[in-house]
Amino acid sequence: MIRKTRRKRTWFAAAVIASGSLFATALPANAETGVSATQIKLGITLPLTGAASPGYNKIGNAMNAYFKYVNDNGGVYGRKVTLIQKDDMYTPQLAIAKTNELILKDKVFALVGPLGTANFTATHKSVNLAKRGVPSLFLNTGFSGFANKKNYPTSFMILPSYAMEAKVVAQFLKESHAGKKLGLVYQNDEFGIDALGAFTAAGVKFDVSVPYTSGSQSAATAQTWVSQLAAGGAQVVVFFGVTSATAPLLAVAAGAKYAPQWILGSVGADPLTLQALGVPVAVLNGAQTPAGNPSPNDTSDEYVKQFQEINTKYNTGVAFDDYVLQGMNLGLMTVQALRAAGQNLTRRGLIRAMETKGSTFASVAYSPLGYSKTSNVGHTGYFMAVMGPTGDRKPLGGSVTLYTTDSGSGPVVKSTFKRPAMPAKGLPTNS
Amino acid sequence: MRNFKFKRSLTLVAVSSLLSITIVSIPTAAQATPACTTANFVTTCVGATSDTAPYMLMTPANFNGTVYLYSHGYRPNVNVPAGIPGYGGYTVTNTAEPAPGGNAQIIGALLGKGYAVMGSGFARQGWNAESAIKTNVELIGIYKKQYPKTTKVVAWGNSLGGFITQALAERYPDLISAAAPLCMASDITPLMTMAGDALWGVKTFFDSSIKGGNYSSGAAGYAESMQDLGKVFTVIGALQAAITANPTAPAWPATSTVPAALKAIPSRSALVMVALISGVPMQSAHFDSTSAPAGIPASSALSFQLAINPALAALENIANAAALAVLATHDIELQAGGAVFDNTATNYAARVSAEQFIWSSALSGTAGINGLLGYLAAVPRVKANPAAVAKMASLGTHSGKVEIPTILFTATADPVTVAGNQQSVVDRYAAYTAEKWAASKKEGVRTRPANNQLVLWNLPPEKYTKFTAAGSPDSTTPAATGTNHCNFTLSQYLAIADLLAHASSTGKNLSGGALLTKLRKTGGMTYDRGYSAPKMKHYGE
Repeated sequence: MIRKTRRKRTWFAAAVIASGSLFATALPANAETGVSATQIKLGITLPLTGAASPGYNKIGNAMNAYFKYVNDNGGVYGRKVTLIQKDDMYTPQLAIAKTNELILKDKVFALVGPLGTANFTATHKSVNLAKRGVPSLFLNTGFSGFANKKNYPTSFMILPSYAMEAKVVAQFLKESHAGKKLGLVYQNDEFGIDALGAFTAAGVKFDVSVPYTSGSQSAATAQTWVSQLAAGGAQVVVFFGVTSATAPLLAVAAGAKYAPQWILGSVGADPLTLQALGVPVAVLNGAQTPAGNPSPNDTSDEYVKQFQEINTKYNTGVAFDDYVLQGMNLGLMTVQALRAAGQNLTRRGLIRAMETKGSTFASVAYSPLGYSKTSNVGHTGYFMAVMGPTGDRKPLGGSVTLYTTDSGSGPVVKSTFKRPAMPAKGLPTNS
Repeated sequence: MRNFKFKRSLTLVAVSSLLSITIVSIPTAAQATPACTTANFVTTCVGATSDTAPYMLMTPANFNGTVYLYSHGYRPNVNVPAGIPGYGGYTVTNTAEPAPGGNAQIIGALLGKGYAVMGSGFARQGWNAESAIKTNVELIGIYKKQYPKTTKVVAWGNSLGGFITQALAERYPDLISAAAPLCMASDITPLMTMAGDALWGVKTFFDSSIKGGNYSSGAAGYAESMQDLGKVFTVIGALQAAITANPTAPAWPATSTVPAALKAIPSRSALVMVALISGVPMQSAHFDSTSAPAGIPASSALSFQLAINPALAALENIANAAALAVLATHDIELQAGGAVFDNTATNYAARVSAEQFIWSSALSGTAGINGLLGYLAAVPRVKANPAAVAKMASLGTHSGKVEIPTILFTATADPVTVAGNQQSVVDRYAAYTAEKWAASKKEGVRTRPANNQLVLWNLPPEKYTKFTAAGSPDSTTPAATGTNHCNFTLSQYLAIADLLAHASSTGKNLSGGALLTKLRKTGGMTYDRGYSAPKMKHYGE
């Protein structure tokens, strides 16, 4: 059948030129896609609009702010780092299209911080990131499946896995909430299932378990969650989901005067975003949460202090929260990775640098990094924190007690790991 | 989520894309000498090959020596009554098709450049690869006899015609100098596995009275297949109505016999599961698995994007593929001598192990996935006749070993001959050239074998679902580029014809900047050596 109507030409036409020019253009011997004498081009897909965007939509700008700071201070071996952000609206099919665009049209050198488990699963499979040899650094997801280096040879995690997080929380539940009726609200996909498996393996049984499907979160559905939790008499409720689901859960619970001890998973516990989504700040007071990073308000922390300064100057007017902190840290990690790969920057070199030197990178998170030739695991641990009257979090017990573990059957252990110091002025000099 | 009304029935859209056939009156008896007439500087000859296949040759007065041999796609080999809901009627025809769809503009453009065109209607419809190849070989001889100044024959074809074209390239490099299999079918076994899985999925979830295969012989089998056709389209209509009435939790069709507990999962999720286990794409003619109506709350929009739109894409694609699945199953069983679909050893959970993460919301999360896969694991499976399976395999397979230039082009969201068909030929050619390279090196030859395969893809835009002012999905618009079966533009066909002409005259495919410029000007044609389409499910995850 011949289509009678020609549709408006899409970016694919441009993509053709871009992909083809990989073969048609004579590049210098040491040149690499997305790298010129003056520039390193990077890309990220994440939800910038839509229901899942609150909070996440600040990460890219925070990364960019950090890169601008580095660029103003000489760049990476003289090259300026640029980041192209693409809005995937948290939908896998759009993530595929946007990643294709980044690679074929924009010709980025590497992906940094692509967000979402379903989205990265989709793009990795459909865009053939491994076959193309495109480095995908610091995935913004804790799905433990991405730690499979055989399946994801060019990808590197940064967050501790959801399984690690659940194992730390499981230990905490046993130590601090024994005998209480337990409730669990979790995203009913690999996100929550990763956690659920770890809870089960740790022997934690929930009296009320409420799964929800990603995308279904709303005030109306939260009513049913709260009803189930309250009817089951849950005294301690663990939440494993995204912030756009935490918000209706807490808001509805507050309205219903249902006030269990909340334990909010790290992904959905940013207080500023929760307040912006209508959660009364008082509800957060006393909520417990596994945390990997210091509070974004903790100016005694050298990373936070430096990042806040950069945010003030290069991300003007944007409130400094967990997402901004995470974005800045992604920038810091990226610059170290680029430097570690050397001046003759190649995709293979970047992956090799991640494998051989990545575990030594400075990062705001307290736990060790697991990168090696056989591992693409990022951070490996959490400490428990508690939120105060303003939603700000502090280490439970007054000081950080770090627990590290793995995504499998390994034990949860107290760690004495000492986080590397923030590079002077926040500018890495590693090689 | 509010309810909405479709502006147009999906199934009606589906039918329109199945076939397009040239209406040309041609004698059907074998005719040694073509009957020719000349008008407007074009000589049109008609006749029939020794197997009674009608053909048509069209040659311009300024014939430059190159003739295009077109092979048409699958036409059902049985009549379909007009009363079949959602399908309409069809009468078997073997009219000759000398260019895609008999399109006058394509024919005119080629004749205008001095090229001739020809094509057969083939003696038998249905899956006719082997007889069609013989017919085409004979037709080439007839043409050369009629026009001795012929220097080059290039072959092209759509769908099953793409299979035939690839086979000609593999087996008769001495007869043709370049070939373009378009929206091609590859081996018949994975194709029929896809058809069988889709029908079995629809039957299992939505209407257990659908036979889905193992049809009786003779008139009884024909009646069974027609009943199946009606039932499949009826159940698709019921699903469409259910989603329209309640997109979030559409009811299961009244014909469904799944346990009540399973019906707690929305029927749309079962629809998505059918698409995933069979390998039907998750982007369709009008549904991009991405868009949501404007003006609805953000949370509803996300739900529509992640759960509703994908279900509608699955519905539309299954509607497009279902008719051919039923008709081809009946046809192949007749030729093979028994049931050819066997899923007794199929692990559907393994098949969707990666995709379930991608489509988790559309599948209603882990609970939905486990429930649906659990049911598929528990219900009785279908066993094939081993002799029929072996016979089927002999009806069509490609080696991928080609020495002449070939140009492959398909849509990545083709629901009938899914992109994995083209990918399998790409993979086999890669293996073949690797073998040749290894053999050359053993003999001390350090020159890599030439790459004679140009692989092009037609990708859908990132967003194309349209909505009415009231927020309902609008499927009255033309199918998006990169979707539907053989849904190519005139420009794309003409670009392929130009690429064939270049390959034929030079012995190699166009490349470099000239190729890229050609593709850019045409639109909707992507050359990307890093792209691989998903393998067909028959080959495993």
